[in-house]
This record gives sequence, structure tokens and C-alpha cells, in this order.
Amino acid sequence: MQPKEIEAIHRDHIKQKAKERNLILLTQLSIFVVFVGVWEWLARINAINVLIFSYPSKMWELFWAQLLDGRLLPHIGMTVWETVVGFLLGTLLGTLLATLIWWSPFLSRVLDPYLVVLNSMPKVALGPVFIVFLGPGLLSIIAMGCAISVIITTIVIYTSFKEVNQNYVKVVQTLGGNKRQIFRMVILPSTIPAILSTLKVNVGLSWVGVIVGEFLVSKMGLGYLIIYGFQVFNFTLVMVALAIIAVVATLMYQGVALLERRLTSQFK
Amino acid sequence: MNQLLSTPAKIELRHVTHLYVSTSRAFMAVRDINLRVEEGEFICLVGPSGCGKTTLLSLIAGLEKPTAGKVLIEGASVQGTSRQVGYMLQQDYLFNWRTIEENVFLGLDIQGIRNKETEDYALHLLAEMELADVRHSYPAQLSGGMRQRVALVRTLACQPDILLLDEPFSALDYQTKLKLEDLIFSALRRHKKTAILVTHDLSESIAMGDRIYILARNPGRINSEVAVPAEIRSALPFDARNLPGFQDLFHQVWKEMEVVSDATKGN
Repeated sequence: MQPKEIEAIHRDHIKQKAKERNLILLTQLSIFVVFVGVWEWLARINAINVLIFSYPSKMWELFWAQLLDGRLLPHIGMTVWETVVGFLLGTLLGTLLATLIWWSPFLSRVLDPYLVVLNSMPKVALGPVFIVFLGPGLLSIIAMGCAISVIITTIVIYTSFKEVNQNYVKVVQTLGGNKRQIFRMVILPSTIPAILSTLKVNVGLSWVGVIVGEFLVSKMGLGYLIIYGFQVFNFTLVMVALAIIAVVATLMYQGVALLERRLTSQFK
Repeated sequence: MNQLLSTPAKIELRHVTHLYVSTSRAFMAVRDINLRVEEGEFICLVGPSGCGKTTLLSLIAGLEKPTAGKVLIEGASVQGTSRQVGYMLQQDYLFNWRTIEENVFLGLDIQGIRNKETEDYALHLLAEMELADVRHSYPAQLSGGMRQRVALVRTLACQPDILLLDEPFSALDYQTKLKLEDLIFSALRRHKKTAILVTHDLSESIAMGDRIYILARNPGRINSEVAVPAEIRSALPFDARNLPGFQDLFHQVWKEMEVVSDATKGN
């Protein structure tokens, strides 16, 4: 076979792959356009109740108006801020707790049933307790965003600490390393991929905690907009808030995923 | 015994017995092991799996304390791991997130002796193993043989005088294994290290060792000891395999191994 022919086959392969990619993208886009289009159309012919379901063009109008008069951005900013603090705090505390119980096998066995109970418990049920304890505001909401992820993070990270190949530990031991060095040089660096992937899960969990927290107490934020819209029966506002949550939560998830890919490229 | 009184051996095991205890049972890994290794000697331990070879290395390395008996290095009882003893595992276990250079400096970091001088020595060893040009690469970019050479440099960088080798060639393909045997053999000789090699490969034990201990299992104990004649000892492992006395010695060790394995089957 001539080099030229090989090259041609390779080019064809690339073209084929590009075609598939474009087809997938086109289909994805069509689904979205058809969904929005049908929704709008059903609303216009009064096949659905616009008071409950609203419709895309009205939502866009409201979104645009609120964005322009500067009322919307503070809400988005507040929720994003609470979520970021919540999931970073949850991951950090979870990792610290995992470190603590890794350090002391005694403590790990003592705490085991408590972790199981706390993990099984729906954390949002603690909402009222947080509010009484931390006051009806930002702190309670962040506490919810954090509480929802901290226990599962502890369990996942502790498990991956234990799963580190004992031979790496042996390498450090035979070179004279103590427990602190074993943790710093082997356990922690080799579980960084696991920690980053819990970060990805925690983004989603913190959104749940923060939105529920805002339902309960806030005067600001996307969760507040949903509750407010619900109470004054402005479902266009509810729908706009939901759409914004979908977009911002996705962006945040993708951001963490990108960070994960960047930081773990060395581990593969 | 006279020798014992005059100068302490580099490594000595006196009536060493070790148990592994769990809630389900207490398992005797090795029983009443007596063993003496002189400075600069290369000792091989062979035997069926489960005969306590790795246990012996762990005891000498100070990773575990013997249940009974004494482990002595230069006459002093072993108390935990020490800089004097280097350990090489079956696989390289290089840290993927560190460059080759940083992997080699690992022991220096751990022992807090990393400075210009020790770094230079480690890099010199790296060059000796023909790895100078990969010092900034990551382990994933290297072949199995190269990685095991890096692992050797990592161990030697801390300048131990005793090297414990726990089947370091068993995970490599045959050709790489033969080359690495020669390389490690001459490196240890040049740096005048005392070494104990655990292996399954009988011809490897004859080609590399000065003396061979054959172990039996259940519980692990020394069955017999075979001395390798001077000419095979002094040749490189690859060449040693072609020397006249090699095949006879192989058959001798093979027979001893048969006895050991049959005895176990009899149980």
C-alpha cells in the first residue's frame, strides 16, 4: 500500500468521525428547538394553561427586563456564592474528617455507626435546626449546602484512602517514612483524583441544599425567586429561575470537570 | 561459632520465629530461622510460595518485629526501619505524579537529607543506569525495565549498605530480566553492597548468588544451603548460565526443591 493511500484512508476516517459529530450536535440542537417551539405553539393556541406553564417568549421578556434593570444578577450571584462556599466547605470538611479517621483506626471504628446514621439521614430535614441554631440567613443556607455533602465525602474519601495500594506505603516505610510522611507523600496525592471527582458530585448536592435552604429562609437568591413566584402566582418567574438554575449548575459542573481533567492528567 | 564471636556478621538471624495473628487463627510464617550473611555477600532465598521468604525480608527491614528470636545487623538488634537497609519490591511502585527525578529523590526527602550533594549522587546513579535523559519524564512514559531501574536508583540514592530484593525481576519479560540481572548484579558489586534476593527462578538464584538458602513451608524454615562455586559467582549472571558447572548445580538445587515441594504435598 502506498503512503498516499494510507493517508487517504486516514483522511476518510477523520471526515467520517466529523460527520458523526455534526449529526449528533444537530440532533441535540433540534431537540431543544423543537421543545421550545412546541411549548410556545401550545401556549399560543391555548392548549396548555399559560398561567401555570408560562411560555418561552414571555419568559425571555421577563428575563431580559429583569436583567436590564439589574434585579436578576444579585439573585444569581447570591445563589452561586452560597453553592460554591457550600460545596468547597463540604469537600474540605469531608476530606479533613476522612484524614482524621484514617489517622486513628480506633476512631474510625468508633465513628462508623454514626457515619452510617448521618449518611442515611436526609440532610435537608435538618433545615429548621440550622435556622434556629445559625439564624435565618446566609449561614443556615451555606450550612445546608455543606451538610448535604460532607458525610458522603468523608465516606468516599476515607474509602479511597484505604484503597491505596499498600505497596506504595511499603516503599515509603522502607525508606524510613513515618505516618505523617506516608499520608503526605502517598495517601493524599494518590487520592487527589478521587477527591476531585467527589467535588464534581458535591456541586450537584450543594445546589440541592442551597435551593432548599433558600426556600426556607432567604430574602434573595434563585430559590427565593421560585418561592416568591409561587406565592404571587407568577409562574413565568418560577420558570425563568428554573432555567437559570439549569444553565448555571451545568456551567459550574463543567468548570469543576475541566479542573479535574487539568489536575489529574498527571495521574494517568 | 568462632567467627560469630570475633566479628559480628552484617546480617544475622538467631532462632527467629514469626507468627501472624488474626482473630481466626495464629499462623506461623517462619520457625527457628538461623542465618548469617557476611559483608558484601549476595544471598538468595528460594522456596515454594508461602515459605516465608517475604516475611524474612520484612523482619530484616524492620517492618515487623519477630515474635521470638533476634534479628541483628552488625551485631545490633533491629529496631524499626533504618537508612542502612534498602528494599526493592516486585514491581517498581514509582509515584505517577512525580517526575523520574522527583521519584529518585523520594528517599532523600523522607530522610531529610536532600541537598546538592545527595541530589548529585542520585543523578549520578541515574546516569549510571542510562536513565539520565528521562529524568524529567513521568513514570507512565517509561518501559517496565526502565521503571524497575529507576526503583533501584531510588533505593540506592539513600546509600544503604544492605539491599533486600523481593523478586524484583519477576514482573519483567525474559529479555529485560536477563539484562537487568546483569546491570543490578554489577551495580551492587561495584558499590560493595550486601544483598538478599528472594526469587522463584532457580537459575536466577544460581547466576546471581554467592549462597542459596532453600526454604520449606508450613511453617517456613531453612531446608538446606547451597554454596555457589567461585567461577560462577564471579561471572555476570548472563555468562554464568553458560559456565560448565552451572547445569549440575541447577539440578542439585532442583532436587532440593523437589524434596521441599513433595514434603509439603505429603501434608
